[in-house]
Amino acid sequence: MYNLFVFIKKYNAVILFVILELLCILMIVQSLPYHNRKMVNVSDGIAGGFHKMTANWSDYLHLKSENDVLSQHNALLLSRLGCDEVEADTAYYDDIYTYIPAHVVNNSIYEINNYIVIDKGKVDGIEPDMGVICDGGVVGKVLNVTNHYASVMSLLNSYSVISCRFVDNQYVANVVWDNGNYQYGLVKDIPSHLIIKVGDTLVTSGFSNSFPADIMVGTIEGKKGEENGMFNMAKLKFSTNFSTLRHVYVVKNNYKAEIDSLCITR
Amino acid sequence: MYNTLIRNIFWFLILLILQIFVFDNIRFGNYIHPYVYVLFVMILPFETTRAQLILAGFLMGMSVDIFSGTPGLNAAATVFMAFMRPVIIGLTTRKSDIEDKNSPTVTEMGLQWFVVYGLLLILLHNLVLFWLEAFSIRLLGIVIIETIISVPISFVIILLIIYIFKPIKK
Repeated sequence: MYNLFVFIKKYNAVILFVILELLCILMIVQSLPYHNRKMVNVSDGIAGGFHKMTANWSDYLHLKSENDVLSQHNALLLSRLGCDEVEADTAYYDDIYTYIPAHVVNNSIYEINNYIVIDKGKVDGIEPDMGVICDGGVVGKVLNVTNHYASVMSLLNSYSVISCRFVDNQYVANVVWDNGNYQYGLVKDIPSHLIIKVGDTLVTSGFSNSFPADIMVGTIEGKKGEENGMFNMAKLKFSTNFSTLRHVYVVKNNYKAEIDSLCITR
Repeated sequence: MYNTLIRNIFWFLILLILQIFVFDNIRFGNYIHPYVYVLFVMILPFETTRAQLILAGFLMGMSVDIFSGTPGLNAAATVFMAFMRPVIIGLTTRKSDIEDKNSPTVTEMGLQWFVVYGLLLILLHNLVLFWLEAFSIRLLGIVIIETIISVPISFVIILLIIYIFKPIKK
């Protein structure tokens, strides 16, 4: 027993070092798989309030540009309303999806897995797996929800896969992110017989029931080689500017439960 | 005694605020990640025991982690750096050099010594941090590029902070 005390006294620093490092690595590993990443510390409590406060301050600095974007969007919506005025009251299409506006309170773009925190939560009807879009295009999917905040896995995440469609020829492909620049992504699973042109537009396919169809994702920047002979890959420029993200809309699918009940569980 | 304690608390708060308010928000490019809070562990007095250094490093790293939503990441790197600090001091000084000195700062040890000491410690910290962040061998290239670019920039910013908050001589 005495020897044990001597040992601990002599190597107390090394023992402390090993214990703390193991503790840290345990915490990192626990937060590693994206669905376990609770982001509790960012979403609620002191840190949540802190991020909200800094977001409040910095919002003032962007009011002018933000107003421009909103008025542009307004004009677009008004012009659409103008053309479709005749059929407006018979349109049933709109009530499939409801859009919940939200503010970005924390955003990252330079990590390997990037997450966004928004200021709407369970109370406002946000649920995990809902899609998030902005005026520019697709942003990501809701990951975790607390009462007043939600964490969103942005497209800039190695776990993110979005099902997309070429506007020109209706072929479907998947968009992922290859840990590089926040402006560019990677289109995978393009059938090799398909001729890809620079500037081709990709929109959401609408198959995932998180996003409505025809939301802009990005445009092709160039070919990026083959993927096991069957499929091609291409470089994509996101239409969303992730570095200036402030206002987003959470997409709520009103028939999600109904669609899910049809899905065959394997 | 009180003086040292107050000075350390001051540095802790200043560096925490600078890190989470300024340097976590302003990033200068894809590979540049300045971490300035490591200065806190670097300038603790010579007489600080190794266990105290490690605890201080853990506290500092964990505080940054809480605000950046990365549990354990900064803490692990800072604990490792704190553990290695006595080794680096042993490598870069002779025992007789530091007998009458209080703490490893620029004012007491000179700029030339501090450049070697600071760069080595930041290198250790950044290597561990970027490695744990990537968590795979596949991204080794990115880890090395990030480290090579970030270390000198972190160090220059730390030097600027030191000169900005330098006490005025009476």
